[in-house]
Amino acid sequence: MKLLLITDLLKGIWENTGFTNLHWDNGIMILAGLILILLSIRFNLKPLLLIPLALGIVIGNIPFMHSAPYPIGIYAEGSILHYLFFGVLKGIYPALIFLGLGAMVDLSPMIANPKLMILGAAAQVGIFATFLGAAILGFPIAESASIAIIGGADGNTAIFLTSQLAAGLKSLPEGEKVMGLIGPVAMAAYLYMALVPVIQPPIMKLLTTRKERLIRMKPQRTVSRAEKIVFPLVFLLLTAFVAPASLPLLGMFFFGNVLKESGLTRQLAGTVSTTLIDIVIILIGLTVGASTQADVFLKWESILIFVLGALSFMVATAGGIIFAKVMNLFLKEENRINPLIGAAGVAAIPDSARIAHEMGQREDSTNHLISHAMAPNVAGIIGSAVTAGLLLAFILR
Amino acid sequence: MRPLSITFDPTLIDSHVVIVTALGYCIVLITLSAMAYMVVRFHAVRDYLTGRRLKKVSAIESKTPPKAVMTGEENAAIAAALYLFFSELHDQEKYVMTIRKVSRTYSPWSSKFYNIWNVMKHW
Repeated sequence: MKLLLITDLLKGIWENTGFTNLHWDNGIMILAGLILILLSIRFNLKPLLLIPLALGIVIGNIPFMHSAPYPIGIYAEGSILHYLFFGVLKGIYPALIFLGLGAMVDLSPMIANPKLMILGAAAQVGIFATFLGAAILGFPIAESASIAIIGGADGNTAIFLTSQLAAGLKSLPEGEKVMGLIGPVAMAAYLYMALVPVIQPPIMKLLTTRKERLIRMKPQRTVSRAEKIVFPLVFLLLTAFVAPASLPLLGMFFFGNVLKESGLTRQLAGTVSTTLIDIVIILIGLTVGASTQADVFLKWESILIFVLGALSFMVATAGGIIFAKVMNLFLKEENRINPLIGAAGVAAIPDSARIAHEMGQREDSTNHLISHAMAPNVAGIIGSAVTAGLLLAFILR
Repeated sequence: MRPLSITFDPTLIDSHVVIVTALGYCIVLITLSAMAYMVVRFHAVRDYLTGRRLKKVSAIESKTPPKAVMTGEENAAIAAALYLFFSELHDQEKYVMTIRKVSRTYSPWSSKFYNIWNVMKHW
């Protein structure tokens, strides 16, 4: 009798283990997660973001018995991971990251040379082109917008928009359940943010001549403290009035910036730009990674989302560069823009600005473009957040 | 994996998507251009105000009579006076007041109380 009981217990334990429940798709995802961790460490590819994300993939794909009486998976209501995922599903984490980002970013390059802000808007062409492209491919309008926002190259904006448009449980006509697009969209956006040094340089080289890459820009003027305090408030009012739906992002962004620039709230600015943002990055990375549970994530649509996201990012990069070249046609010789900084119009801060600087340095080691490139880079963040707000307003009206 | 059901048919797009695309991009461009314009106008206003202030200052300066030009002898006399004054300063003093108590070790040779007491005893 006792022997039978022990056998039953052992059988139950065995049925609960990952070995019994392992499916080939879980194996693929775990392998992908492990490769991502190794790549991130080996090539120093945004480790602060990729390591939590990749570990999340591994954690989210540990096989378990779906009929278990206790909630385990990230999509199982009541599980710890599900509670942590709440911040992603409701767009809380992106807003907090924007707060920290605002406290870290310096708006001076943008204020010193305001015409560079237009490059940040020009690069949003990638989002709108992909929006159209995804709709042509048959994606519903809300999902098209969520996929297109990957081109903004800002994972937080992508998560925010997708959380509002294409998150949560969905039922397909044939009865299959899918968990929205938040997993693949966030993964694609973060992955392309990490792959900026790989994706952008060939496009930059292809679209610019050596002569253009050698253009030296005028040194920037010093920006006064009054300007640094006044403009975040002015920009906040303007963008919030145009696209109120983007308020959770831009409101927090400019709030963080005012904390930094006022000079009297350094302690708060220090907390949100270090401790708080680190905590949120850990949570967002882990939960987004875990949301790639194989049975939900490994679908043809996910692969298509990755392809469309890459195209969106490439078009955005090209859009910024081409717009800078067009602007040069109307500018005086001494005010010309190095078109490389147009690529920084995507919101991957500060990587795309750094890449523009490095590309310029390869041609002329004394040409320092980083401070100029930061202007379209910051404008790109604002531009993609405004775009997200507009898409929300258009689609959910 | 569920088979992919993707169609490529531009006629499936309703006008709503096209309008959202065109209008959305235009609004983003206009918003960021407006931000740039505000910065430029701010500079113009600031330059205007600074220009007015500079004008005021130059107007005040133009009203004050020009100072008489000093001769070489006068300059030499002032220079000699300054030289003599500074060369007189041979001691460097620390002009810092402090409330720090100066510690002084006790000695019967420097003690007023001890001396007076002894004088009284022998008197």
